[in-house]
Amino acid sequence: MLDFFTIFSKGGLVLWCFQGVSDSCTGPVNALIRSVLLQERGGNNSFTHEALTLKYKLDNQFELVFVVGFQKILTLTYVDKLIDDVHRQFRDKYRTEIQQQSALSLLNGTFDFQNDFLRLLREAEESSKIRAPTTMKKFEESEKAKKPVRSMIETRGEKPKEKAKNSKKKGAKKEGSDGPLATSKAVPAEKSGLPMGPENGIELSKEELIRRKREEFIQKHGRGMEKSSKSMKSDAPKEKGKKAPRVWELGGCANKEVLDYSTPTTNGTPEAALSEDINLIRGTGPGGQLQDLDCSSSDDEAAAQNATKPRATKGTLGGMFGMLKGLVGSKSLSREDMESVLDKMRDHLIAKNVAADIAVQLCESVANKLEGKVMGTFSTVTSTVKQALQESLVQILQPQRRVDMLRDIMDAQRRQRPYVVTFCGVNGVGKSTNLAKISFWLLENGFSVLIAACDTFRAGAVEQLRTHTRRLSALHPPENHGGRTMVQLFEKGYGKDAAGIAMEAIAFGTVPEKHGGPSLGSFVFCRGSARNQGFDVVLVDTAGRMQDNAPLMTALAKLITVNTPDLVLFVGEALVGNEAVDQLVKFNRALADHSMAQTPRLIDGIVLTKFDTIDDKVGAAISMTYITSKPIVFVGTGQTYCDLRSLNAKAVVAALMKA
Amino acid sequence: MAAAGSRRVADGGGSGGTFQPYLDSLRHELQHRDPTLLSVVVALLAVLLTLVFWKFVRSRRSSQRAVLLVGLCDSGKTLLFVRLLTGLYRNTQTSITDSSAVYRVNNNRGNSLTLIDLPGHESLRLQFLERFKTSARAVVFVVDSAAFQREVKDVAEFLYQVLIDSMGLKNTPAFLIACNKQDIAMAKSAKLIQQQLEKELNTLRVTRSAAPSTLESSSTVPAQLGKKGKEFEFSQLPLKVEFLECSAKGGRGDTGPAGIQDVEKWLAKIA
Repeated sequence: MLDFFTIFSKGGLVLWCFQGVSDSCTGPVNALIRSVLLQERGGNNSFTHEALTLKYKLDNQFELVFVVGFQKILTLTYVDKLIDDVHRQFRDKYRTEIQQQSALSLLNGTFDFQNDFLRLLREAEESSKIRAPTTMKKFEESEKAKKPVRSMIETRGEKPKEKAKNSKKKGAKKEGSDGPLATSKAVPAEKSGLPMGPENGIELSKEELIRRKREEFIQKHGRGMEKSSKSMKSDAPKEKGKKAPRVWELGGCANKEVLDYSTPTTNGTPEAALSEDINLIRGTGPGGQLQDLDCSSSDDEAAAQNATKPRATKGTLGGMFGMLKGLVGSKSLSREDMESVLDKMRDHLIAKNVAADIAVQLCESVANKLEGKVMGTFSTVTSTVKQALQESLVQILQPQRRVDMLRDIMDAQRRQRPYVVTFCGVNGVGKSTNLAKISFWLLENGFSVLIAACDTFRAGAVEQLRTHTRRLSALHPPENHGGRTMVQLFEKGYGKDAAGIAMEAIAFGTVPEKHGGPSLGSFVFCRGSARNQGFDVVLVDTAGRMQDNAPLMTALAKLITVNTPDLVLFVGEALVGNEAVDQLVKFNRALADHSMAQTPRLIDGIVLTKFDTIDDKVGAAISMTYITSKPIVFVGTGQTYCDLRSLNAKAVVAALMKA
Repeated sequence: MAAAGSRRVADGGGSGGTFQPYLDSLRHELQHRDPTLLSVVVALLAVLLTLVFWKFVRSRRSSQRAVLLVGLCDSGKTLLFVRLLTGLYRNTQTSITDSSAVYRVNNNRGNSLTLIDLPGHESLRLQFLERFKTSARAVVFVVDSAAFQREVKDVAEFLYQVLIDSMGLKNTPAFLIACNKQDIAMAKSAKLIQQQLEKELNTLRVTRSAAPSTLESSSTVPAQLGKKGKEFEFSQLPLKVEFLECSAKGGRGDTGPAGIQDVEKWLAKIA
């Protein structure tokens, strides 16, 4: 049933492999390693790759990985147990070989595990079969059939309600059917423990029935009820006796003086002295000053302090012993040890503006990586966990693909095509500003830039880009570059279709074919300039849009699908918190849904803006790279042209881990 | 006269008066044969000295005996590692951590080196390189010759990074670029790979130095590879770089021997 089972060391050596099918297992396992383990998504232990489901288990003490693969459509219940059993068996059997530091022991050892594995597999399969659902018992096998009928018959009269129900509903004619029904009703009656009269066909008259019912009812609850009813009756006249009955002499005539029953006073004279105790009215406590509302809270605080104090002392004692134990022998980490440290780390990460889900997943993955690991002699649990977390954060921030825009632009230059970059993002993150910064950087490096104003919605968007173009032109006039216009704006005003404008801009930026005559497209868009020199880079600025706005997301996806830019950059601000996850997921989903191609164009890189507004709450960088696993290409740190930086992973992680 | 003289002595004593009470107490203790303060100071000094000595010895022993195997993912580093150590063939997966073992060089002196196989995955490679580069005596950069045409930019970028890091070290290690997977028919020769890498690194020099500076940009200028103005060549580097062909898998896969004799000879040479 299993496709394969592999045991390999974290250094890459396959120690033992079982292959149920002829396909090689290296491909799916490599995919598992790359997507899950190296991207810190090791929270849950299963992974789907094409038609296979892969389940894995890490042994952090001996640096081994156990992977099992089976078809996705099967649901095998014994796999988890099998992995645990195999892990234990393998570890015990080859303890000496895998314990050593050097890889030579792993290389030289022969791991002949086939027979053990087959035995364990057989046991696991059998145990899963035993747990199959049981078939229903037949009536003859049940206990009820074994009991004599007589034992189930009960004396009548004790539970007349059900009998009354029966007799009322069925009537005398249905005595026959009454019988089995009554016996069936006798069974629940039996369960409730109340005896019931035998239905031998004797019908009681209705009045007798009611009398009996009442007798019984009174029998059961009657004593108390009688008493209470009697007492109630006696009380009522007594109470009535207290109050004198109001006599309406005049029979409803509304005479003011007669109807005025208030005690006589005159205005201005003080009322009679209060009969109540003055002290009770005043109450206790200082009268003039208002006390602060900290009475109850101080009690709580005191209680909490008392509770935390012994815990704190226990904690410090435990910490000391832990360190001493760490000094003396080798201590392997368990989940309980790491629990408190990981909670603190998770809160710390969230305080540093990492999205909450991602902080949880990261801590889960770190726990998975460290479980069972043997700590060094002078390290505490906190330091080990912090070290591991730091390594995973640096790992996340390392780019998975090459981040070198200039190199790719040179390639595109050779192919006589402009390098197209599209900027997308939500409203107000700094797309146009950072577009201008990137154009400045490209101009400084000698590339000519065409800015396509595809933001046809926001008022002033085109004018903003025109101002930037003017300033950049002043910084890099054509005279300095041999008569070539280095930066130009391509705009078509407001209200038009953004995808169309982008297409025209790219056509405008392409050098027309010298041989074979100019193509129709470039001829139409040449706009009379006989010599269209073409631009090296086309930067496409789009309108900001919320990720929930379906029509706008469709429009963006259409722009990207139709124009196939070389680089799709998502611009996100560093101030964003949990929202970053939502934005990126929805943007990627929209791009994937509306793409016709086999492999849809997704976001290729991230521009992190407004980085100067956050001091060390740099968590947004982690959230964004974790969600997309795409690198952060640029970091914007201000509003002038020189405020463009690359990401320094170590510095960001240091800022994150700083207390 | 005598009073003035004694006053002057007292004044002279007053300038060294900060140490005076300690010296007095020490003398007091020594006189009373109860040297608690002195013994504590001596013990501390002894402990410090041993720590310093121990660290010195440790660093001496572990320095400069390691040979790092680096390269892109799937270039054959782990298999090369296995072949060098045992001569056998093993199935391998993507490495997540490093593996190290002692390798006995087959020259008449019988030196031993520590072979360290580093993972090649993008997220891990720089971290591990950082950790091990100080103890590197030599670096073997493994290149997949069959897939080279497709990956030339990535190879060049990583090689650039490794070269820059190595040049920053005190004792620059010896470099070998092993063009692996020569058993595949489409594999490029070492000469061709050298030419292509030189061209690529030439361009990379310019683009890398023009990249926007990092957030915490230090004042040091990034190192320049080779000579400015001239086309980049490996001979311009202060490191010794050699190109060799090898095949870790060998002609007949898991049954036959591997074609790594050149690599072994090179290792014997630099040991």
